[in-house]
Amino acid sequence: MIPWLLLLPLPIPVVAGAVDKTFGVRPDLVSKYTSLKSGNWKCLDGSKEIPWAYVNDDSCDCPDGSDEPGTGACPDTYFFCRNVGHIGASIPSSRVKDGLCEPECCDGSDERPGVCKNVCKEIGEEYRQKRDAERKIQKTGSKIRSSYITFAHKEKKRLEALIQSTAQEIESQEKEVARLKDIADRTESLSKAALEHKKQSPLYRSLLEHSNAIKSLQREHKKHLEREKALGEILDTLRTGYNPNYQDMAVLEAVRGWEELAGLPHINDVNKASSDSDDLGEDEGDEENKEETTEDVLDDGMWSAGKLDLELDILVASDYVSLLLEHEDHIRTPAEEGSILFDLTSYLPDNLIPQYEDFKDTLVSWLSKFGIIRAADDSSAADSSHATQAHNAAQRELQKLKTENKKAGDDLAELFNIHGFGAEGEWKKLDNTCLKKDTGDYTYEVCMFGEARQIPNKGGSTFSLGKFDSWNPSEDVKPGEPAYYQKQVFKHGTRCWNGPERNVVLLLTCGTENALLTVAELEKCEYQFTGTTPALCLPLDDNNSKDEL
Amino acid sequence: MRSLQLLGVLSLLLVAQESLAFKAHDFKTCSQSGFCRRGRALSARAKEAKSSWKSPYSVDPGSITVASDRATFTAGVKSSLYPDIKFGLELRVHDDGVVRVRMDEVGGIRKRYDEAAGWALIAEPTVSKDIKWTSGKKNIRAVYGEKKENEIVVVFEPLKISLLRNGKEQVVLNGQGLLHMEHFRTKTPEVTHTEEPAAQEGEEVIANSETQVVIKAENPRAWFEGDTEDDWWEETFSSWTDSKPKGPESLSLDISFPNHGTIYGIPQHATRLALPTTTGESPVFSDPYRLYNADVFEYLASSPVSIYGSIPVLHAHSVDSTVGIFDAVASETWIDVGRASEKSTETHWISESGILDLFLMPGPTPEDIFRQYSKLTGTPVLPAHWSLGYHQCRWNYVSSDDVRTVQKRFDQDDIPVDVFWLDIEYSEDHKYMIWDEKTFPDPVEMVNDVAALGRKMVVIVDPHLKRTSNYPVYQEASERGLLVKTKSANDEYEGWCWSGSSSWIDFFNPAAWEWWKGVFKTQKSAKGWSWTQSTEAVHIWNDMNEPSVFNGPEITMPKDNIHHGGWEHRDVHNINGMLFSNLTHQAVAARSDTPKRPFVLTRAFYAGSQRFGAMWTGDNLGTWEHMAVNVKMVLSINIAGMSYAGSDVGGFFGNPEPDMLVRWYQVGAFAPFFRAHAHIDTKRREPFLYDQPYKGMMRDMLRLRYSMLPVWYTAFRETTVTGVPVLRPHYVMFPKDPRGFDIDDQYYVGASGLLVKPITAKDVTETTVYLAEDQVYYDYFNHFAYRGATKGKDITVPAALHQIPLFIRGGSIVPTRERPRRSSTSMKNDPFTLRVALGKAGYARGDLYLDDGETYSHQKGQFVWREFIAEKPMKKGKTIRISSKDLGSAKPNEAVDGVTLKTFNPANEFAKSIGDVRVEKIIVLGITTKPTAVRIEGGEDLIWDYTPGVACSDKKEGIASVLTIKDPKVLITKDWAITIQW
Repeated sequence: MIPWLLLLPLPIPVVAGAVDKTFGVRPDLVSKYTSLKSGNWKCLDGSKEIPWAYVNDDSCDCPDGSDEPGTGACPDTYFFCRNVGHIGASIPSSRVKDGLCEPECCDGSDERPGVCKNVCKEIGEEYRQKRDAERKIQKTGSKIRSSYITFAHKEKKRLEALIQSTAQEIESQEKEVARLKDIADRTESLSKAALEHKKQSPLYRSLLEHSNAIKSLQREHKKHLEREKALGEILDTLRTGYNPNYQDMAVLEAVRGWEELAGLPHINDVNKASSDSDDLGEDEGDEENKEETTEDVLDDGMWSAGKLDLELDILVASDYVSLLLEHEDHIRTPAEEGSILFDLTSYLPDNLIPQYEDFKDTLVSWLSKFGIIRAADDSSAADSSHATQAHNAAQRELQKLKTENKKAGDDLAELFNIHGFGAEGEWKKLDNTCLKKDTGDYTYEVCMFGEARQIPNKGGSTFSLGKFDSWNPSEDVKPGEPAYYQKQVFKHGTRCWNGPERNVVLLLTCGTENALLTVAELEKCEYQFTGTTPALCLPLDDNNSKDEL
Repeated sequence: MRSLQLLGVLSLLLVAQESLAFKAHDFKTCSQSGFCRRGRALSARAKEAKSSWKSPYSVDPGSITVASDRATFTAGVKSSLYPDIKFGLELRVHDDGVVRVRMDEVGGIRKRYDEAAGWALIAEPTVSKDIKWTSGKKNIRAVYGEKKENEIVVVFEPLKISLLRNGKEQVVLNGQGLLHMEHFRTKTPEVTHTEEPAAQEGEEVIANSETQVVIKAENPRAWFEGDTEDDWWEETFSSWTDSKPKGPESLSLDISFPNHGTIYGIPQHATRLALPTTTGESPVFSDPYRLYNADVFEYLASSPVSIYGSIPVLHAHSVDSTVGIFDAVASETWIDVGRASEKSTETHWISESGILDLFLMPGPTPEDIFRQYSKLTGTPVLPAHWSLGYHQCRWNYVSSDDVRTVQKRFDQDDIPVDVFWLDIEYSEDHKYMIWDEKTFPDPVEMVNDVAALGRKMVVIVDPHLKRTSNYPVYQEASERGLLVKTKSANDEYEGWCWSGSSSWIDFFNPAAWEWWKGVFKTQKSAKGWSWTQSTEAVHIWNDMNEPSVFNGPEITMPKDNIHHGGWEHRDVHNINGMLFSNLTHQAVAARSDTPKRPFVLTRAFYAGSQRFGAMWTGDNLGTWEHMAVNVKMVLSINIAGMSYAGSDVGGFFGNPEPDMLVRWYQVGAFAPFFRAHAHIDTKRREPFLYDQPYKGMMRDMLRLRYSMLPVWYTAFRETTVTGVPVLRPHYVMFPKDPRGFDIDDQYYVGASGLLVKPITAKDVTETTVYLAEDQVYYDYFNHFAYRGATKGKDITVPAALHQIPLFIRGGSIVPTRERPRRSSTSMKNDPFTLRVALGKAGYARGDLYLDDGETYSHQKGQFVWREFIAEKPMKKGKTIRISSKDLGSAKPNEAVDGVTLKTFNPANEFAKSIGDVRVEKIIVLGITTKPTAVRIEGGEDLIWDYTPGVACSDKKEGIASVLTIKDPKVLITKDWAITIQW
């Protein structure tokens, strides 16, 4: 046994080409890489003192790894390359001496000598060119952006003016409503009883009953239509998106059945080349047309689907009280008599007409006196209805004005809201601006602050991919800062077959145009869009850019 | 029969309970498979008959002919049921003691499929030169082996073949009298009537069995064969009808192990490693183990149902010996396992077609079995080094930019990865090798961007070709007549798969081989289409090669499809998938001038697939049950010869919680093949997407894997030479310790001495680990020294979420590379760390193998193979000497698989290329006393640090003493020695 205490081992022989102690050290830390008087060195976290010779000796000694800034011997540390002629950069220790020239270390200092060339001159030049190009885009974009801001300010003025003018209109309209209400109230009190009597008419009651029945039918019909539409969407999604990995021939059958029913071409058709399947689609289309023509032959008076669609709402929205009163008028003037008495003028020579009118008035009054024609003695009912209608119309107009006023107020509030159109209102201009991208099978569309959609180019249903939900929801990003506006989230789109609702994340960068660049479905029903917009091009900060050099 | 009925009811109950995910109705049970039903009925009749049962098969002693090589004899075999039908039996003894038993029908009206062994074997085995068959009146026998310990006996009547060791029966064929080779017959109404007068169409077996007694007198064969033509000529399952033009041709054989109570093997099944019973009293499974490569959607976590691959090799194990059998059969096969006593096992093999071609491997140790089996079917291929790194896969990375972004995210978080994968959606309309230009407009640039960081890509190429005129691969295959045909033998078979209507290349046709090689060329070729939109950094994933056919019976091809040579698909089904990955492997190797080792992953496999690449356990579920059973499945695959195996990290289906994903990375980091994969419906789950602490835990596990790449690569070298698997379950390591026979949740990595037990359950904080020997085991991370016992001992160890129980067996030296890198290729010049885990006697050893990792230059001696030894030069001295010496020169013939090097130059070109790679740290665990000096022998003193603790030779447990030697600067390619004195 050798009886000596081993306090410190013998110094390691200096290896040729030993690494400089400050090699790989960040400039702000260089001053800390000097030996203590004792000839030791303290790890940067203060946890340990090691011989100065251990610094950058390609063997990790400090728990925090600070003794090997230049060798990569300590995991999870950083190596600084000076990159003279360009910008210095730090790379993870895992990339030091790994045989690969890091683009971040253009001086090649991360590898053994001779492995990487110093390309800082070229890289620096490239970088400057790229940065200049980016700055150019940013400059152009920021001009457009400022026009957006101008727009927002104009919009603000417009809204303010609108608020003011509508407020005035509201004031006068309120007066008008009050006046009409007064008239209506008075006429109504006179006629209420009479109208109630008329409403007892079996015909009127039956009409109401019919009306209710039609409304109910319509409601049910709509429900079914919606159901059918939803089913169709489910089947469409199934058809385009079904996952053959389930290896389920039953699903395949369902898809085929739906294609036949809906007259869609076979998707992924197998036996046939694509041209064949196109033909097939056309054939089925023809069949569909035939069906439609057969449907067109309707019994007399029956409504076509198109008419139902367009006119049923109008029909059920009829004012039955008015109809009741018109009916009264109509009954009071029997058809035959009307044709004689009232249309007689058409048979009379023009010069006799004034005399005839006089005569007619006399005759009618006679007739009514004898009860042959019921006089318009309770015409007050009609008057009351007219007055009410006038009042209602005025009321509606008032409501419209109030809504308009409120909306303008809301819009104004949203205009410079950091959660909405941005602190400077720079996004207002883009409200409902729709960007499109044709990817071949589908065209994707995103309407800013509106909805994102997937529109098939070759037939089939359009799916909602979600409605605007928020700007960047990440907790790491504060509302109002640039990163906040680089991401828009659209949520609650059409549900995927056997999956979740579709959602979109729209990633935006500064660009001179509003454009949708890429669309990717990174996982099922989760879409990632990227695009550019001038709204993100902040004005160049000259001071900052100088600092970078 | 009652027991059979009961079984039926049981299996129905099981099916009903488990039908939630696994589509039981898509796959046959034994009772739905005609020949299996017949085979089980035969076994039931034998059980009922008890001792009166006698096999109708016998050897005609007069026909015995011993061949001139003396190791082979042939004999005629007859069945008393059909005196006019002739069978031929052949036995031969190989030079390593393996006995091959072949039996075929002779002069039949058709020919049984006899080419399975031809595809599985690497070469025609050489026969023994020391064998002498002795023929007697009742039997013929041969005694052989170094100590004449082995004996093979063929008894003539009834036919029975036994392999004995030291007089003890090891393997017995037809001992239960279940041998039955259904001979070819002609379907004629007359024959039907004479053969079975009482036959009624469509009647159930069970129903018929009740009338059996009545018929017995009329049908002299009913006692054996049953009394109906049960599914002889046609078989309907669900909506598919198998036309069975050849009629019945199944083969039934009982194989018993009278002295072995535990069996392993016959993968692939989602079961324990030690196979549970399927027959006898209260069997664990009601159906036999099935081997019929099948694409089973959401397979069950415990079931004998067949899945993607089949290796008909079985080990029977006891404290006395291990024996094995390899049944070279390619048709659908069912295997019943019963246990009459705890110490014996009976198996019953029922195959649909093919000759009997059985290899009996005498052992007597597990390592002998591995050697004997690899001599037949080959050892695993030495993987490209990079392919032992981490593989990141997903169905699908959707575009070339997506791939670039994923790569960037890995690098931002400094998480190592070697390979990015593309699943089927890269291809236009699932025409493999045709990029979808909309999403992958720049495939070559994309691959180059990945390769620029030393990484590779693996791209999927499936065997189904879309039937469309604008797909050159299909067009060429069709024009050249290389596609599988329908039963008409003329028309291309058309089935449904990812690409819609598809056809399948028939790789049984040699004309397909050269053509397929041409397809993978990255340069334009005059001979035909080639994949110019790929590079040599692209490797291949062969999926769906069972083959999976969505609209086919049992999601695969109809059995009456016709392959090259006129064989039916039923004859070759289980081999079909292997040929595809075999040829892809060859094609990828052939595409470059300097051949580089290809990486080909396959889902379907057969005996011999280990020669062509890796397999994985297919479409597993993101559940704890699947995680647990996947560990056992990978072990089972390993002992069946295919070391390069793994399971999808995270589970293919489902969205694993972060804690489950962390555990799954621990499982993956200790599987030979380490790939994360996910279904298209799942959320993205790359490690960088997670919050701390999960992200850090996954990264730590990935870095641990990368630090241990030297261990994995060294273990792979060994298996390529010896066939001993990379993952070694307890029975392989400690064959005489019965407590370890059932253990399949902990295992050793190669010969490194690393023992690992991945945790596969939720919320675990500690676990028990079994130590089978009186040895010290050090916790890899905190150096706690645990002690086992001669009779075995359970230790309790911490296993919180961030921890994986990992131990170094005392007596091992583990070489690692501990500098985190982005990928394995960047570690080429990194220094090594050696962990010297002193055994209780103060000794340790380990080895390290290195080569260029991607070419075949190692076959020409371009490699480094070192041995590290720590020992006390003098027993009572106060010195430990750690040394490094060259193993290549010491064992030049054992270094590289299949290569006999005359000499080895330790200063070869490869060694020179890493000439300055050094050892940067040596950690010695369990040293008894604080050293006084550590120095390089013949050189200077070294810097070291010592923490006192438990010594290797102590009886107590606790943190071991740790001596850390700082940067000894000794070179990895050179001989050196370091002495530690106290």
